[in-house]
Amino acid sequence: MAAPVPPGAPRQQPPTGPPPNFQQNPNALADNFQNMNLNRPPSSNTRPPPFGQPPPFSSSSPASPMTRPGPFPSGATLRPASGSPSPTLPPNMAPGRPSGPPFGQPPPFGARPPPPGAFPSSMPPSAGSPPYGAPPPVTRPSPVASSSPVNMGPSGAPSGFMSNGPPAPAFQAGQRFAPPGSSQHQPPMGAPPAMGPPARGPPQAGAMRPFMGSPGAGASQVLPPSGMGQAAPAFGGPPQAMLGSVASPYAPQMPSQPGVPPMPGSMPPPRMYGMPPPMQNQMTAISPVIGQTGGTQPGASKIDPNQIPRPIPSSSVILHDTRQGNQANPPPPATSDYIVRDTGNCSPRYMRCTINQIPCTADLLTTSGMQLALLVQPLALPHPSEEPIQIVDFGEGGPVRCSRCKGYINPFMKFIDQGRRFICNLCGFTDETPRDYHCNLGPDGRRRDADERPELCRGTVEFVATKEYMVREPMPAVYFFLIDVSMNAVQTGATAAACSSINQVIGDLPEGPRTMVGIATFDSTIHFYNLKRALQQPLMLIVPDVQDVYTPLQTDVIVSVSECRQHLELLLESIPTMFENTRTSESAFGAAIKAAFLAMKSTGGKLMVFQSVLPSIGLGALAAREAEGRSNVSAGDKEAHKLLQPADKTLKDMAVEFAEYQVCVDVFITTKTYVDIASISVIPKVTGGQVYYYHPFSVVSDSVKLCNDLRWNVSRPQGFEAVMRVRCSQGIQVQEYHGNFCKRIPTDVDLPGIDCDKAIMVTLKHDDKLQDGAECAFQCALLYTTVYGERRIRVTTLSLPCTSNLSNLFRMADLDTQFVCFLKQAAREVPITPPLHVREQVTNFCINILLSYRKFCATVSSSGQLILPEALKLLPLYTLALIKSAGLRIEGKIDDRSFWINYVSSASTPSAIPLVYPRMIAVHDLDTQDGNGSIVPAPLPLSSEHVNDEGIYLLENGQDCLIYAGNSVNPDIMQQLLGVPSADQGGAEFTLQQYDNPLSKKLNEVVNEIRRQRCSFLRLRLCRKGDQSGMAFFSYLIEDKVPTGGLSYVEFLVHIHRQIQMKMSS
Amino acid sequence: MSEMANMDPEGIDGVRMSWNSWPRTKVEASKCVIPLAACISPIRHHPDIQTLPYAPLRCKTCASPLNCFARVDFTAKIWICPFCFQRNHFPPHYGMISETNLPAELYPQFTTVQYTLPNPSINPQMGVDPNASPALSPSPVFVFVLDTCMIEEEFDYVRSAMKRAIGLLPENALVGFVSFGTQAHVHELGFSDMSKVFVFRGTKEVTKDQVMEQLGLTVPGRRGPAASAAYQQKGMMPNGFPSSGVTRFLLPASDCEFTLNSLLDELQTDQWPVQPGTRASRCTGVALSVAAGLLGACLPGTGARIITLVGGPCTEGPGTIISKDLSDPVRSHKDLDKDAAPYFKKAVKFYDGLAKQLVSQGHVLDVFASALDQVGVAEMKVAVERTGGLAVLAESFGHSVFKDSFKRVFEDGEHSLGLCFNGTLEVNCSKDIKIQGIIGPCTSMEKKGPNVADTVIGEGNTSAWKMCGLDKSTCLTVFFDLSSTDRSNTPGTVNPQLYLQFLTSYQTPEGQSLLRVTTVTRQWVDSTVSSEELVQGFDQETAAVVMGRLASLKMEIEEGFDATRWLDRNLIRLCSKFGDYRKDDPSSFTLNPCFSLFPQFMFNLRRSQFVQVFNNSPDETAYFRMLLNKENITNAAVMLQPSLISYSFNTLPQPALLDVASIAADRILLLDSYFSVVIFHGMTIAQWRNMGYQNQTEHQAFAQLLQAPQDDAQMIIRERFPVPRLVVCDQHGSQARFLLAKLNPSATYNNAHEMAAGSDVIFTDDVSLQVFFEHLQRLAVQS
Repeated sequence: MAAPVPPGAPRQQPPTGPPPNFQQNPNALADNFQNMNLNRPPSSNTRPPPFGQPPPFSSSSPASPMTRPGPFPSGATLRPASGSPSPTLPPNMAPGRPSGPPFGQPPPFGARPPPPGAFPSSMPPSAGSPPYGAPPPVTRPSPVASSSPVNMGPSGAPSGFMSNGPPAPAFQAGQRFAPPGSSQHQPPMGAPPAMGPPARGPPQAGAMRPFMGSPGAGASQVLPPSGMGQAAPAFGGPPQAMLGSVASPYAPQMPSQPGVPPMPGSMPPPRMYGMPPPMQNQMTAISPVIGQTGGTQPGASKIDPNQIPRPIPSSSVILHDTRQGNQANPPPPATSDYIVRDTGNCSPRYMRCTINQIPCTADLLTTSGMQLALLVQPLALPHPSEEPIQIVDFGEGGPVRCSRCKGYINPFMKFIDQGRRFICNLCGFTDETPRDYHCNLGPDGRRRDADERPELCRGTVEFVATKEYMVREPMPAVYFFLIDVSMNAVQTGATAAACSSINQVIGDLPEGPRTMVGIATFDSTIHFYNLKRALQQPLMLIVPDVQDVYTPLQTDVIVSVSECRQHLELLLESIPTMFENTRTSESAFGAAIKAAFLAMKSTGGKLMVFQSVLPSIGLGALAAREAEGRSNVSAGDKEAHKLLQPADKTLKDMAVEFAEYQVCVDVFITTKTYVDIASISVIPKVTGGQVYYYHPFSVVSDSVKLCNDLRWNVSRPQGFEAVMRVRCSQGIQVQEYHGNFCKRIPTDVDLPGIDCDKAIMVTLKHDDKLQDGAECAFQCALLYTTVYGERRIRVTTLSLPCTSNLSNLFRMADLDTQFVCFLKQAAREVPITPPLHVREQVTNFCINILLSYRKFCATVSSSGQLILPEALKLLPLYTLALIKSAGLRIEGKIDDRSFWINYVSSASTPSAIPLVYPRMIAVHDLDTQDGNGSIVPAPLPLSSEHVNDEGIYLLENGQDCLIYAGNSVNPDIMQQLLGVPSADQGGAEFTLQQYDNPLSKKLNEVVNEIRRQRCSFLRLRLCRKGDQSGMAFFSYLIEDKVPTGGLSYVEFLVHIHRQIQMKMSS
Repeated sequence: MSEMANMDPEGIDGVRMSWNSWPRTKVEASKCVIPLAACISPIRHHPDIQTLPYAPLRCKTCASPLNCFARVDFTAKIWICPFCFQRNHFPPHYGMISETNLPAELYPQFTTVQYTLPNPSINPQMGVDPNASPALSPSPVFVFVLDTCMIEEEFDYVRSAMKRAIGLLPENALVGFVSFGTQAHVHELGFSDMSKVFVFRGTKEVTKDQVMEQLGLTVPGRRGPAASAAYQQKGMMPNGFPSSGVTRFLLPASDCEFTLNSLLDELQTDQWPVQPGTRASRCTGVALSVAAGLLGACLPGTGARIITLVGGPCTEGPGTIISKDLSDPVRSHKDLDKDAAPYFKKAVKFYDGLAKQLVSQGHVLDVFASALDQVGVAEMKVAVERTGGLAVLAESFGHSVFKDSFKRVFEDGEHSLGLCFNGTLEVNCSKDIKIQGIIGPCTSMEKKGPNVADTVIGEGNTSAWKMCGLDKSTCLTVFFDLSSTDRSNTPGTVNPQLYLQFLTSYQTPEGQSLLRVTTVTRQWVDSTVSSEELVQGFDQETAAVVMGRLASLKMEIEEGFDATRWLDRNLIRLCSKFGDYRKDDPSSFTLNPCFSLFPQFMFNLRRSQFVQVFNNSPDETAYFRMLLNKENITNAAVMLQPSLISYSFNTLPQPALLDVASIAADRILLLDSYFSVVIFHGMTIAQWRNMGYQNQTEHQAFAQLLQAPQDDAQMIIRERFPVPRLVVCDQHGSQARFLLAKLNPSATYNNAHEMAAGSDVIFTDDVSLQVFFEHLQRLAVQS
């Protein structure tokens, strides 16, 4: 939305005609669109967070986003001790990523939602047009917005809206939506200041946005739910909020809207759909809402694209207390920028649940259609402003644990009998309090020392492990680098890039005598290097038997870094020249990692492999299956997904062995060809490692990224030889773990390596009924060794209320987590199920949830409305994005898809969402855009409607960053930003340089900020309209209709609605 | 025949036979007890041997070359092959032949001639032109295989020995280097960027193909990084190897001497940890397979030696002879007898396979072992012997037995060993003679023919043998049998002479290909009529050696073979047949002088290390036997029956009886038992010497007396390979055992009272020669 945006804002053609894609819609709609656009996110905050934004702390809003970076200096911070930043970064790098730990987690979209009020201003005007009277609905925050029914059918059209509208207005008032015109970003709601925490309240109303549905009616109905919301006085606008929420369907949708565009004018624009900020904070819950809008006509394609739910960014930092008033506080969106205060529950960074209330019965859960799962990221990067995790040393006795289930002491263990005994909150067993841990209880029944003891008042603590937790001395930090030097690797420059990256990174390895390094190269044989010799030069030891490998030396292949630095540097410099003329094209990847493993076997450690071609020889050699698959495309379509499965079991068996000896493998794939990631990735997956993929590899543009990825890899917070187990309260049990690890016994996962970027999904199942009103606890214990050789147990505990109320479930659903679970499950399905099938499954997931909601929680609304629970209103959008994502694209390259699958399997929530739903920003007018306090401008909707020929756009998903320049960009701007007058001269191999002009500086700032947020350096590519690169860019615009059959967003909503209607009626 | 034994018993032919007259029939032959055998030294140097610059003329049916025993019809220009009686026309270039114009091979005194051959493998097209100048074959290759599991001191010795050796190699010789410990390292000498080694695991057997593939030698340049590329670009394909890859590992000595020296300087002993109480892990077997595989990439016909320097037993992988546990002693003869050596058979099988591979490649395995304990020579013997390799066993790399022997291998000139490559021996013989096989350093080529006997002795089933390596002193014992058909039925066709022809083709170290043709004739005698001729034709020395070799062989291959009884029985049979006596009257027994020395040889053989193996380790026994089998008759006879020379005032040095009675206080004895040379000072001499009389001018004679045996000993040592151990000892000293063990115990503690003062006694229960003779006589005359 143009709104906030500077005038010049290119982004869309807002006002005017609908984008091409939309054409299909009736004209009427078209008009609407425009309007909608205005409202939308454009402005700074696009964020979608379901919850409306939490502008609560007004104060924070503006500044907040920025803050993080500041605080944390360089990467060093991450590490506990290290303070110093690493200077070495290459120029390009922004200070960002690697180095700075800062990013906590970057919200997916840049800034978090600004206050609603903010944007509107601009937008409205232009767009503002007519129709909507009800604009408000749209906006997310605003009450109206909250429940935004999208109208589908014509029927509802005008009126529908109105309905929404109604609330809206109300809110406005209440909520302080600033008048449209108001420019402030901040807390849109007026309330903020005052409200303090409560502030959120109001917003939430907005939260629910019903989708379609007829306006008025739908909206209101929805709300009905709880009175609670209202109850909460605190929130300024509660009541209204509620309403709003209900109503707010994105109202816009179709029909009704025609008129709709309401928003434009008024306030809404700001948070648009920001959803329901409310939920989070407020205790009161507003009742969930249903957002619905009634679109009457099913088929009607009259959904106003501008009114449909989209993520609303927020630029402010949310302050989040994990518990308040002895109740779990629903966490802010995973993708938002938030600061946690651990008041009993663990920070949502470490563990979050798909639903913030636990259904009492399995039936209830089944009915909801939702998943019950935890996403655990035990070493997640904290926000720099958060209090560090406290370390508790119980001395020789070790941490206090339940003697039956072995659960660790936590704030929810209940001490009774004067503190002499305690009841385990996990298994219910009553234990004697160890004598020296005894303490009397206060009048409130808590131990008197509870507040002084971190383990009794914090959701996350780290215990010092005693001997009992070690099978051997904590292992040293061993880093072994394995470099492909086959002809291809050398000629593409991959070898040189790897060597120089390693060379630069050696200095970033943990200091101290416990840090060991080793290096080997391989082509058709494996070359080790004896670094220890007191001779002038290292000795090269070749292992030529690649069928049955071995290590050439027991000692001296891996040596303490301080002893061999000179040799190592020399060697790294000479490797590229030494193999300059090699004509060996074979690559013995499998054998090489096995050999390296054997060298590391006695200690374990990290093995980093730089691989450039398909492993063609020796142990674990692979055939070029892709070619095979392609040659019989016609016959093999059904089988094509098999290429996403590992070719055979060899690598898997190897990986299991590696894991047993605590070797964690990371693979850096720098290639221009097919390398069968499906097979290769098994190794990182089982050993807790990661795949990095640079395809097509280019020395010019990828070297720096390689270096940064490697630096981040070794310098990010991480642990070795870890074991993790999740325990649940009685009634719930762990069904399965998903992620990168090795599992040898059913209850634990073994993680040779675990780092701050890795998440593990834990699916849960009921084995009994839970008590309504009771709490259900989850405890994740991670036993690991730090890079400095300390053995620790990190225990994170989350206690959530149980409910037997279905609407509570919808209200408390965590969109991001819920979706990431789908995503991970879909990723697991892809290799074993034909893609069309997977898409159908995914769509059905979405439909079933909405259907359940529609059936049981929004019964009143008319069938013509598509009603979305406020908390999950973005589910259709994300689902659509998932269907169109790289992993599910049939025509995608096999390796790209395999990589995607692999990436998803260990991705944390904040990084998985953007992977599917990327962020696009306009960069040609950076200097004039008003960032709303955040460095990164507000994202644009992912629709080609928002891409115009005079603009330059940046689209990033945390991995890739595409810069697209339209055909008619002002050459001046091109020159300023990219140093070339037209995209045609850019070349595919592209690096971002900083030129001496404000625009370029700004762009660099933005890119660096994104890097920081994503903890990823991003692969920059320049895209041009009309060629392959342009197609790649457009393939990310998931709202567009894809010629090959992908539905546009609006069509998808219609499709879903129809399906729901069908199921309802059947 | 004893007069023949004097100066040059072997003559121009280098052939000695146990019987120089042959009985007519198989039955008669078996009555002779001592087998029909010929010991030939195929490339022994002799000044009279003519080297002919053309190819031999061969019989068109049996392919035996023209020789001086052929009947020639000068007018018809026809010659008749003495073996098959085929009439052959002389080719045109023999057109000038006449009674007065004979080619050298027809001169009666030139029973042995040598032809130069073009080298077929290098230049096939030249093969058709016999006049073409002989082509040189590729330069010889030396691959050093060095054990790195030893203490620093030994390692220093062996490194310096290797450096010296490399310095002595001809410039064009190609050198390769493999070191081994727990794993085998092949050093890529042609890689200039840094030291580069290919590491092979010690525990896994590797085939030749695997080695070549893993070293990147199968497809030219496939794996070879810069080095091989450089060679190809510069057109440097030294020696025309098919795969340029191998030039990464084998470099001319002149090019790589520096690299190798610095590599040796930097080389460390094996770095793999050795647990206390265990042996170092040493993969000798794999290292040898790898070296053999590396050589497999050389052009066929390339002469190559693998020179192995080992300092301990193989404990890892194929060829293992003993577990790593130090409490487990290395196998002894007892263990072998009782089948209690669990690794032995497997290891032998492994080396047998290695031998086959090396033979097929034409390459030689040499073993230089220096260790206080055994290193597994017993197991390696098969590979060393079949390839015609050298073996030297010493106690330390610092010891002169190793140092000097090793140097000799590489030395040029008069004392050079004359190491040649790629030899083949073919034997042609008259009808009715069957070849049973050969004992000696060679391998059967399995070339069957009518002359091949069904019974096999040693390397048999063939009339052609491969000798990958051979030298001037190499000697082979060929065993013959007679056809069982009774030829007396057809006396008309009987030729009174039998003919044997030995064809030896080989490559000199300079790369020349030569063919030596030796044709000998002997007489058939009808022993049923008179044994006189037969007796006259008996060569006692040769016969003793043949019996020694045969007994050794049987001990090795026949389970439970009792050599002593076998020798005794044969000796008794022989004496019964050829002695003069009255039945059952031992005192009437006399032996023809042609047999007179033989019983004593047998007596000493029975007592020697070849038969009394239990005093030695299996390694030593194997080592002794290898040398027994390959040395010439004279040397072999010394091994069986050492020579003893006595030095005293007023007499010239003279041979002394090999008897304890030869010991006297005022004498110096010099014992040559081949493997060791002992200088033994009588008590008085030793006292004088200790008092330093030899340093006083008035006692110059004494000084000379002391010096004389030293000089003679040095002379023996200089001539001999391997260098014998020199022991200088005094009467009653501990080292004196080296002498006493060899002497006839005519005086033991049992009869010490009978002995004159000043002489010595031997503390043994062994029978003395006299007792032995008494028994022999008694048994020989028994009816």
